[in-house]
Amino acid sequence: MSKQLKFLVVDDFSTMRRIVKNLLHDLGYQNVIEADDGNTALPILKSGGIDFLITDWNMPGMPGLDLLKAVRADSELAKIPVLMLTAEAKREQIIEAAQAGVNGYVIKPFTAETLKEKLEKILGAAA
Amino acid sequence: MSLNNNDSIRSRYGARVQALSAALAHGDEAAFGAALDDLLHSRKPEVFNDLRDLTANLKVALDRFRLDARLADFAEKEMPDARQRLDHVLKLTDQAAHRTLDLVEQSGPPAERMAQAAKSLAPAWRSFRARNIEPRDYHEMLKRMDAFLPAAQADSEAIRHNLSEVLLTQGYQDLTGQIIRGVIELVREIEAVLVELARLSGADPERADSTRSAARGHGPVVPGVTRGEVASGQQDVDALLSGLGM
Repeated sequence: MSKQLKFLVVDDFSTMRRIVKNLLHDLGYQNVIEADDGNTALPILKSGGIDFLITDWNMPGMPGLDLLKAVRADSELAKIPVLMLTAEAKREQIIEAAQAGVNGYVIKPFTAETLKEKLEKILGAAA
Repeated sequence: MSLNNNDSIRSRYGARVQALSAALAHGDEAAFGAALDDLLHSRKPEVFNDLRDLTANLKVALDRFRLDARLADFAEKEMPDARQRLDHVLKLTDQAAHRTLDLVEQSGPPAERMAQAAKSLAPAWRSFRARNIEPRDYHEMLKRMDAFLPAAQADSEAIRHNLSEVLLTQGYQDLTGQIIRGVIELVREIEAVLVELARLSGADPERADSTRSAARGHGPVVPGVTRGEVASGQQDVDALLSGLGM
């Protein structure tokens, strides 16, 4: 698996972004950039070069579900793998995210092992 | 005035008024006094009823005033205070989390350095233990061991120092916990006032429902508060998604 993949991590809490960034570094992915909600993430995605999107759901501004829908609705971005990393745990929400085209769903609090497993699964399926 | 009302007045007071005017016509002072007393007595229960209603209304008005005054206090002072206090909690937790992350990140390199140094010394050390080492390699190993021992000591001390800093940083929980408890107490008081106000205005406080948009998300699951079906953990999520063909 290419370690050159460029990740965009979207979360309104800087500590969570930092945790995810550290875990990605541990997995060998050094190319990680951050955004604090959907509104700041979309322009970054549209400017190109992002290979993988990891997003929270509950954020001020544009929430993660809307970001996911916007990505899937944009022909340039539609194929980017999206992993939702969120505290939202209602069954109806998980189903809604799946219907909106999410590739993986990890609920917080999560372990490094779970994140690794889901990433590898998504990247394996995309390869 | 309707005919019915007229009848009712006549039936209640007609005889008494007639007795009163008859006594007046006859100049019978005793009979007049008795008829007047009778008439006044007949009004007593109504006056009492009116008085009771008035008192009850006054009590409701006073209760409302007391509650309104308390609510005004909440709105003007205590709610903004609570918001500031919660902002401070956010700041404290943010600082503590970043400080902890700093210390963890700082501990990575010395740990990595020690592991690498130990790993690179191992082959020469194994050869030495097997009494199968070239004199040149032996001297090289001694030199590297001389460097490794103090470096390992310094690196492990740095890590230990970072760990005790991480420990101290967790003190934020005490401070934020106290602040949050204060805010919980305020919320409890506001709830009591609102329930009382709802009772006074005859509303049903049980009927209240959240109007928050689901698209924004609900936030983390809070035991006893979050309603509806909730995934109990990652395994549950995975099972649900694989059921959907993912």
